[in-house]
Amino acid sequence: MKVSLSWLQSYVDLTGVSANDISRAITFLGFEVEQVIRTGAPKFNNVVVGHILTRDKHPNADKLSVCTADVGSANGGVRTIVCGAPNCDVGNRVPVALPGAILPGDFVIKEAKIRGQASSGMLCSAKELTIAEDSQGLLLLTDTPEVGTPINDVLPAGDTVFDIEITPNRPDALSHLGVARELAAWFKKDLTYPTVSFTPAAISANPRADLLKSVRVEASTDCPLYTATVVTGVKVGPSPDWMQARLTAVGLRPINNVVDIGNYVMLEYGQPVHTFDAKKLAGAEIIVRHAVEGEKITTLDKKERVLSANMLVIADAQNPVVIAGIMGAENSGVSADTTDLVLEVAYFKRQSIRSTVKRLGLSSDSSYRYERGTDVHSLDEAAHRFIDLILAHAGGTVAGPIHRVGADIPWQREITVTPAYINERLGFEIPAADQRAALESLELAVVREKNSASGAPEWTFSVPSWRDDLDRPIDLVEEVVRLYGAEKIPSSVVSAPGLVGNDDPIVLFNRAVTSALVGQGFNECVNYTLRPAKELAAWATPAAIADLALSNPFVEDQSHLRNNLVSGLLESLKLNQSRGVAASHFFETGRVFIERNGSLSECVAAAFIIAEDTGERSWRTREAADFYTAKRHTATIASFAGIELERQPTSLVAAPALGWQEGHAATAGNIQHGWTSTFGLVSLAHLKALGITGKVYAGLFAIVSEKVTAYADRRSYKPFGLQPAALRDLALIVPEATSSSEVQKALAKVARAAVGNTFALEAVNVFDVYQGAGWLTNYNKSLAFSLVFRAPDRTLTDDEVNAVFTKIQDELIKTTSYQIRK
Amino acid sequence: MQDQLSALLAKAAAEFPAIATRPDFEAAKARFVGPNGELTALMKQMGSVPKEQKPVVGKLVNEAKAALQAHLDAALARIESAELSAKLGPPVDPTLPSPDRALGTHHPLTLVREEMTRILRKVGFTVVEGPEVETEYYCFDALNTPADHPARDAQDTFYLPESARFGNVSKKNPSEKYLLRTHTSSVQIRTMLKGEPPIRIVSPGRVYRRDTTDATHSANFHQLECLYVDKNVTVRDLKALLDYIFASLLGKDTKTRFRPHYFGYTEPSFEVDLSATHLPKVNKPWIEIGGCGMVDPIVFKDVGYDPEVWSGYAFGMGLERLAMLLYGIDDIRYFYQNDARFLRQFA
Repeated sequence: MKVSLSWLQSYVDLTGVSANDISRAITFLGFEVEQVIRTGAPKFNNVVVGHILTRDKHPNADKLSVCTADVGSANGGVRTIVCGAPNCDVGNRVPVALPGAILPGDFVIKEAKIRGQASSGMLCSAKELTIAEDSQGLLLLTDTPEVGTPINDVLPAGDTVFDIEITPNRPDALSHLGVARELAAWFKKDLTYPTVSFTPAAISANPRADLLKSVRVEASTDCPLYTATVVTGVKVGPSPDWMQARLTAVGLRPINNVVDIGNYVMLEYGQPVHTFDAKKLAGAEIIVRHAVEGEKITTLDKKERVLSANMLVIADAQNPVVIAGIMGAENSGVSADTTDLVLEVAYFKRQSIRSTVKRLGLSSDSSYRYERGTDVHSLDEAAHRFIDLILAHAGGTVAGPIHRVGADIPWQREITVTPAYINERLGFEIPAADQRAALESLELAVVREKNSASGAPEWTFSVPSWRDDLDRPIDLVEEVVRLYGAEKIPSSVVSAPGLVGNDDPIVLFNRAVTSALVGQGFNECVNYTLRPAKELAAWATPAAIADLALSNPFVEDQSHLRNNLVSGLLESLKLNQSRGVAASHFFETGRVFIERNGSLSECVAAAFIIAEDTGERSWRTREAADFYTAKRHTATIASFAGIELERQPTSLVAAPALGWQEGHAATAGNIQHGWTSTFGLVSLAHLKALGITGKVYAGLFAIVSEKVTAYADRRSYKPFGLQPAALRDLALIVPEATSSSEVQKALAKVARAAVGNTFALEAVNVFDVYQGAGWLTNYNKSLAFSLVFRAPDRTLTDDEVNAVFTKIQDELIKTTSYQIRK
Repeated sequence: MQDQLSALLAKAAAEFPAIATRPDFEAAKARFVGPNGELTALMKQMGSVPKEQKPVVGKLVNEAKAALQAHLDAALARIESAELSAKLGPPVDPTLPSPDRALGTHHPLTLVREEMTRILRKVGFTVVEGPEVETEYYCFDALNTPADHPARDAQDTFYLPESARFGNVSKKNPSEKYLLRTHTSSVQIRTMLKGEPPIRIVSPGRVYRRDTTDATHSANFHQLECLYVDKNVTVRDLKALLDYIFASLLGKDTKTRFRPHYFGYTEPSFEVDLSATHLPKVNKPWIEIGGCGMVDPIVFKDVGYDPEVWSGYAFGMGLERLAMLLYGIDDIRYFYQNDARFLRQFA
């Protein structure tokens, strides 16, 4: 909202206070100043009216003149001044900046020599005085002002406009009076209210039922109070200059006296008003009612609006003429030939106005104030001020009686507080007298005062009706600290009593994953959570995508929650490839949303991608990443969630493999049990569709957020054998489709049984896989395992290990279909 | 014999330095000291040496033996060294770049988040997490945001369809809608409902606003929020925390100032400005960095804490904004593009 300083000065005397100090005051009262706009001339020193006496051509410069000008005896009489303006003609009266003057832009005027010619000041243009954007030559002063007069006495007074943000709790400050009240409190000055002379008692009995027969409120819940006053015999014309200047300063376009006065009252009191041309009210009736569903109105902005049943309208006997509190109909307003007015000043419930504004997408200065809440208890005063101004500047007489429909709404609010309470909440001392003065300056009044035995006061304040936001003692703490000056809150040290607790496991998980992958050379990425449906299509079934949709996306490419992190990372890779940036390893941690037991679950996730095409060449090539690289990194991530991925059942990704390459990507875990992971090669077809060059390996790990328990209990130490191990290698020939883990498990089981309790089988590790084409007719895969035996208490002898090893082989032949490769 | 020994040694001295390969070495070794070697042959003559000369000749033989061994050792060492050099290849060019991948990088938002949480941990705050999909209760109602407040508009907040079901985001009321949280303050409520005071938490996380994406706006961004609930917590304590945070982050000379403001869930409420003269690309004396205030008694009542007993403060700020200030980044979209040239700048 824009407020004009000269307007504020009508209510509070801020003479001698700089615009900077006022801006600061507004800021520390709690209203952010977005902009300070100066209009008109700033205050000048040493700039006076001068009269040009002579003009000669500059001897050394074609475009310059040497003038003499009388600037008044007090300013040194006649001065010689070099001037470049074309219009420095003899006889003109112009602004003269004398040596010592400082013009805008910190331009200091000094005695000077210009091309060898002494110059004692400067003749000024309107632009140089910043009262115009542009100017042709000197500013010529009309009406022959007295020579030597300070220029500000001659130029129209300037104004300073503050564009301020009023927080939603302070509708009272959506007015010049409201802001003036705050400033008066801050600067400890008196607040002068406008003089309101109209009283209903003064109306002569001059009813004009022909103009307004009745006012009927059919929706009293949404409109608890409605007043309408008939003024006859007005003359529509321009409003007074001062009013136009003020309205213009705060960004309103003057229309005519009647419209301008309505706006003026709204900006003065914060109370919106509406003016009808009485003759246009069909049936001479005003009905405040809810719209009929589907009823139409064409508003001032020339748009037809279709109303619905819960919208409040002001109607005449035939049609709605105003969408209550928001905007009037195109043809119901005041026009040049209007002579009789109905002045509406009403109280509408904010919820009602707000819902209509929202549904119609239509708002106005009036609705902005109604939505935030107007003060019904100031309504009559504003109405009377409205009538005063109409009578004063548009003429006419009030035709009684005033229509006033609605019950009086009582207002009494008291808050009891002690200065000790306020100081306790603040944590520092503001003297009781200062606290009281601060609150009283905001027109809270002490209605009762008690003193405790120790002499400490307890005050009961009455709260003015426009401060509906003040309801509890804590609210007064804010008022006191606001007026005390929030920037004066003293500093101190943080007192931090120890609280037992650790960071959330999710935090620890993310931290561990991040540092591990950074250590592996990955660049951490952050991608948007909201993804386009077409991107997710490669990573989720159509049914799952439907569940991820927002109900009100803002843009099409951010319409769905993400169910994976890989798709975002591929976008990052694509961007880098398209920009020719060398990068191949990316990861991200973040939330994803995955279908689980018939509903979505928010999951904690981490993912990485490794691009084969690094975007740069190296003088020495390292071994390229493959499926097992992806598996290792995924296992690392899973380990930070307390999961040993290598011990989990792992299988190839089942069809449809979606974004993954069939036969070259695998999953472990199951989201139904709390976590899932997929890793391996990204679908080559998908990469091609994305335009990514080279293969990409990726891994994704996701765990339902409440299942993350990264920091299990501290582990206890397990003793380990100090004796040497005995190793035996065994190669098995198995059907091609048999998985390594299946063979490993079978072998381990047999081996454990063979070892029995005599010593320990420490490990069964696969160390060679041979899969030659046509190598054997029916068996074409050989898996070689290394078996590690160890006894805790002695060095194993070859004999005892050999005995066990033979037993293992015999048992394998007996119980499995595997062959032993000799 | 003496002469023969001398001649043998002279011959060895001439031959051994030229030996460069293992076969040559083995041949030479056999020729001189092998069973059929020349020294062995000479030693066989010891039997014919007169008894009284034996000690002298024996000594000479031993000396010759040692001298030959020294030649052998030197030749072998030379050969081994040459073999090793051949195996190692020529010396490396130490100025070639390592072909191995460099250390990865942390995203600047991670760096800023971790730095802030580290600072806060020192004064007893623990880091908590909360769901990004929230409900109207946790995001608005419990934070004293009236039902018709503009922040709740579908214009400003992302909602999920009424049919949406989330297995692990609890609703307070069955009829409320799911939404994407607009601030991390919802975590305050979940933490207070789950635990009991005293509470001292910091919750960093992702939040969502239905906003046009431009240089300073993003559909999702990150916030960090502190909540402290205890007995006798004051406005001065809140100021102390803010002073501590920013002095830790930016140096002891950094100042903060409060400006009164309005938030539904704190009373009194303030905006926090930072003295910013030493920040890159900032040409204002003060720059707004976050919002804070004393927890409103209504919020305490709603979570079942007695506002007569408990008091507290809350502080929240945007992490992108902080990162932009700290690093001098001028476009919020860079955080989400992941251009590696950007990612590698912050380590």
